[in-house]
Parts: sequence; C-alpha cells; structure tokens
Amino acid sequence: MSIYLDHNAGSPIRPEVRDAIGALLESGAANPSSVHRRGQNARRWLEEARRQLALLIGAHPRQVVFCSGGTEANNLAIAGVIALPAGRRRIVSSSIEHSSILKPLARAEADGMEVVRIAPDRQGRIQPRDVLAHIDQHTALVTLGLANSEVGTIQNFFGVSAQCQAAGAVFHIDAAQALGRIAVDVSESGCDLMTLSGHKIGAPAGIGALFVRDPSMIVAQLAGGPQEHGLRAGTPNLIGAVAFGAAAAAVRARLDEESARMAALRDFMLSRLMAEIPGLCLNSPDDRLLPNTLNLAFPAVSGETMLIALDLEGVEVSMGSACAAGAVEPSHVLIAMGRSVEIARSSLRLSLGWSTTADEVEEACRRIVTVWRRIARSGNRSIEVPAS
Amino acid sequence: MSERVIVAMSGGVDSSVAAAILAEQGYDVIGIAMRLAPEGSDRGGRATCCSYEDFEDARRVAERINFPFYVIDLRPDFAARVIAPFVDEYLQGRTPNPCLLCNRDIKFDRLWERAGALGANYVATGHYARIQRDGEGRFHLLRAADSRKDQSYFLFTLSQAQLARTLFPLGSMTKDEVRARARDLGLANAGKPESQEICFVPGGGYAAFVSSRSRPEQIRTGNVIDSDGRVLARHAGIHHFTIGQRRGLGVAAGEPLYVGAISPHSGAVTVVRRERLNATGLRAARVSWVDRRMRESRDLPIEVKIRYRHPAIPARLTMTAEDRAQVRFAREDPAVTPGQACVFYRGEEVLGGGLIEGPLES
Repeated sequence: MSIYLDHNAGSPIRPEVRDAIGALLESGAANPSSVHRRGQNARRWLEEARRQLALLIGAHPRQVVFCSGGTEANNLAIAGVIALPAGRRRIVSSSIEHSSILKPLARAEADGMEVVRIAPDRQGRIQPRDVLAHIDQHTALVTLGLANSEVGTIQNFFGVSAQCQAAGAVFHIDAAQALGRIAVDVSESGCDLMTLSGHKIGAPAGIGALFVRDPSMIVAQLAGGPQEHGLRAGTPNLIGAVAFGAAAAAVRARLDEESARMAALRDFMLSRLMAEIPGLCLNSPDDRLLPNTLNLAFPAVSGETMLIALDLEGVEVSMGSACAAGAVEPSHVLIAMGRSVEIARSSLRLSLGWSTTADEVEEACRRIVTVWRRIARSGNRSIEVPAS
Repeated sequence: MSERVIVAMSGGVDSSVAAAILAEQGYDVIGIAMRLAPEGSDRGGRATCCSYEDFEDARRVAERINFPFYVIDLRPDFAARVIAPFVDEYLQGRTPNPCLLCNRDIKFDRLWERAGALGANYVATGHYARIQRDGEGRFHLLRAADSRKDQSYFLFTLSQAQLARTLFPLGSMTKDEVRARARDLGLANAGKPESQEICFVPGGGYAAFVSSRSRPEQIRTGNVIDSDGRVLARHAGIHHFTIGQRRGLGVAAGEPLYVGAISPHSGAVTVVRRERLNATGLRAARVSWVDRRMRESRDLPIEVKIRYRHPAIPARLTMTAEDRAQVRFAREDPAVTPGQACVFYRGEEVLGGGLIEGPLES
C-alpha cells in the first residue's frame, strides 16, 4: 500500500465525513431553497454544516459563505473588494501566495490597480512592518496567506488588522492551508475575509467557504439567486457543505491532540532523514512551522526524479506545482525565498495528515533514504555509457 | 519481478504502440514524456512534439493500458545540447541534424540517467531499427524491417553498453502494421499524422529561427559569388543556405545554380553548376563505432549514407585519427553537406558513423 504524504494537496476523506455524506443521502434532502419539507430538511443540513464550520473558526454562522473551493473564495475576496465603489487602488499581498491569489492580482494590475507584493525572508516570513508600510487611505485590500502550502511557514500578522481598520482597508486571510493544522480564529486574527477549503481537511474537493465579517465588504461576483445571503448565487453544493461541516467538527474535536501528533511525526521524520542523508537542507522555517509540513532540498539529485522514483516505490509526495502538461515546475515560493533554481529543482514537499501513522512515517523514511542513495549514487551517469 | 523499462513517449503512434507491445510482453513499463522545446514552439496543435495535446495523447495511452506515466522537464538540457549547437552550426555555414543530437545527448543520455535512477533495466523508444545479439554476446544495430521507415541512420552513436540496455519494439514491423496495432489497441492516435519538421522550429522556418536566436554580430552576411569569384548578389546571412540548395539564391542565371560552398570566414556563398557539386568522398569527424574494435579500420569496404533520405553509396573508409575518417565513394555524389551525419553500413548493419566535415579534396 502506498504511503500518502501529500495532504497539503488534499487529504483523504475522513470516516466521519463519509458517514455524514451517507446519512445525508439517506435523508432524501432536496434543494435547500425549496419551500416544501424536503427543502426544509435540506436547509437544516446546510445550516448545521455552516454552524459547525463557523464554530471551528470562531465566526457567526451568518458570516460563512459556502462556495466551490479555496480558489473561488480567493477570487471572490479579491474581485469582490475591487468592485466596491471606494475608489481605492492599492492591493497589498506577497510573492509567495497561491496561484488563486497571484493570478487574480495580475489581472487586477492589468486593469490599473497598484499591486504591492511583499518579498519574504529566507524562512518564508513576511515581516508585518513591510505590510504596514503600505496600508493607508489608498489601500483597498490586504490579502495574505496564513500558512504557506509549499514550505509551511506560519505568518505573524501583528498589527495588520488594526491598521487596516484604521485606514479603512479590507483584510483578507487565505487560511486554506492553515485550517485543520493549527488553530484558526477570525476574531484573534482580526480579518474581514478568510478563505477556507474543504479538501485540505478531509472533505471532498469542490467545497470551500469565504468568511465575510460584514456583507457590505464585498460585491457578489456570480449573478443569480439570493443564496448565501446574496453573496454567492447558485444552488448550494449540499453534499460538499455537509462534508465540510463534518470535517470541521472532526478537526475541532481533537485539534490540539492531532497537531501535537503531527508535529512529533514531522520532527521524527526530519531528524531521521537528516541523520541518513548528509547535506539534506530544510527549506521550511525552524519555528512557526505547520505541524504537518516539511520542505526539503535533497543534495545531488533532481527532485523530479526523486518524486517519480518515490512514487514507483509507493511514497507519494510533491514538488512545486505541475504545469498543464503534468511536468513539475520549480516552486515560485522557494525562488521568492532566495533559493536558487537548482535548489528549487531538488526540493520536495512532504505533508502529513489525519490518516498518517507512525509506522507509515518510519517506512516512508526508509524508502526515501533508499531512493535518494540510489539516485545520488547513479550521479550523472546512471547507466554506464562508455565513450564509443 | 518483471524487468522495468522506461519508454520514451511522444504521444505519437509509434511510441504508443512500442509501449503497448512491451506491456503485453510483461515488462514493467513506465512511460516518460520529455518536455523539450521552449515555450511558444507549439504550432497550434499541428504535427509536432511537446505540445500539450501530445502529452495528453501519451497520457491517455498510459491510462488505457494501465502503466504509470510522467512528464519530465528536459528543456534546459535540450536548449543547451540541441538548440544551441543547432543555431551555432547554421551560423558556421553547416547544416546540422538536430534529431541526431537529440538521440545522442538527450534520449540516450539524459533519459538514460533518469532510467538508472528509476531502477529501470532498459530504455525503449518507437524508433524503427533492430538490435541483435550474436553468439559472442556482441550487439549489432540493424536497419528496420520496413526500409521506408528505417531510422537506424539516427542511431549510429549507440555503443555496446547502450545497445545492451535498449529496446526497439517496432524494428521488425511495418508502419501499416503499427497503425493496425494502434487501432486494435483502441489507441486514439492511430491515425495521427507524422511529424516531419524540426520539432522546436515554429512555422516561420529554420532560418528565421536561427536569426531570432542570434546576436546581430553573429550573423555572417556576405556575397553570393560564382566559381570565378564574381559577385552575383548580397545575402542576409550564411545560415540561409545549405549545400545543394537551388531555390532562394537571389540570383538570376541562364542555367540552374546550386550552393556549392559556404565560407564562414568571408561570408561568401559560392554557387556552381550541378556537376560541380559532385564529390569523390568526404572527411568525417566525431566518428564512433558500434563495435569499438573497428576504430582503426583502413580501406574498409562500407556503404555510406550521407543524408537520411539518400541511398547508401558504396565506399571505402580509412581512419585518419582517433575519431576522424576519410570516406572515398565508388561513384561521385552531389550531396556532401557539412554538419550532416554520415553513417557507415554493411548491408543491413550499422557499423558506425560521424559528422561530415567536408568533401574529400580529390
């Protein structure tokens, strides 16, 4: 059986989620907007899911807007704020965000907005003072990821919320990668908008949510029915929402315990690999790191080859992002963190999750070391080719 | 456990059927598509390699037959080892063969490294050529059964060690058989047209490509002259010409004229009458042998192919240095083109080959 170490790309469906979906399908729930009793039944399911998700992030259920995923939530946050008739032209973000932030920002820039992209330090940290320097009466939006998906850096947004409030700017946090890994609380972070994604915490892909502190902070982007308090038209994805709610409840029931378990497995993995692979480099920060994420630069090998060889040995990991054709590209996050293209090309991300066991981690370490040795030994001439 | 083979897949019919045949024979097949050409060389989904559609075709074959498939990024290697020498050769007035460089320095080098790293015993491609092992354990590279499709010309650099670890599953098949096989297997690309052009050169032609990849001072302009040195025209760079070229010379003459010589030093392109193109033989550099024991051959009877689509010419070969040779033709030939490969055959067998430096000076 293969060992899945790619939870940051998406976690397997949790058993609690499977059960909840089964119960929903049994119940015969229909369209939650319908007036009849089947509709009312559906609505009850939907609102219970909303309540569970709201509880996890310390929000009021009315502030949770279900949508199709993290990408839609990020697009809605950016386009929804730009569409406000406020006349503000600046957006502050960073160079290590997810493509569903970076691409909408590039589009906004092409449309005449000023986009400030803060560069991180070598640990992937955005300094709050760099962000604060760009928040004033011209700033429409500050949009930043709480935890980086590729290296696992957890950001410190100290002071950002207060200054946004003072300047009248909207503060959006992309928490897609942080949710379920660490405690995420909308009051504590003081954000106005927050992106949440279902499949990162063991619900299926196709469901996400945007926390919206006040509906006047964004303009809906889909025109249609009055669903989701008028902020996201379209019949809600009820199965997805119920699954997301169940996953949120499962996370909330044992977050501290699970975070500690992840961190212990991660630390075991790092120390084992460091001991066995001379020259292994940690790209992830040494503190304020997601408990489940490790990004490592493997010496003297191509990450692409490692990734394929590990897959053939039954260890599933990832590297940067894949192009449309399926080839892996060096991570833009590592490049922004000052790593060379060569380092980025030899780096892999290992991410653990709810289904990861200690036995799996130990076995994965063994296989990673074996594969690395084989590839490193093969060097630049893996099958001997004598000069003709 | 079955033996693992890396199959280089382009998304075309040939490599798809090659992978299918090996899977059927019980090999542990792993499909690899190589991303080679730089962005922007995709010619709108037309027959070329490295386009998104081609990778999807290859992926569908892997899904259908059920073996793992990966796309690897060899663009930096391809740019350094194939495109840069290609441009440089044209700037030097020669006519390079990028497919040869790609086989030698990408498929049977970089891909081989990956194969070893992935624990593979073999690399396979959809080339039409055959490999045979004799009683003494030596490997022989032979022409394909289908003489119209034979691609052994592009494979002469393969050494004994490489041949021992290479599989050409299509070597004994005809193209029609391969297409029929693709249809039987339900491969969607069975009727896909073949790519004929250089995969990384966009529609505008190779000369425009070379110009776009060169600094102005690298481009050698000069005169088109006749064999008496008379200037007939100016030209925009020697990379626009190849030996034996007749069209696009910018010269009006009563009789057909052909490019007979290109001088990278003076920039002169000399045009001649057809009979003046004839050469009695050639000088070859970077000569390699499938069987290294032949590297001191003298007056060796061979047949030499001096272009891919050119019949083999009976000749005699003598090595003049470690990796250089003189080849004297049994009859004169007008197609000796510096930069192209000359491949040495004996009957069905490829003995070796090299790169043409120039004609034998009588």
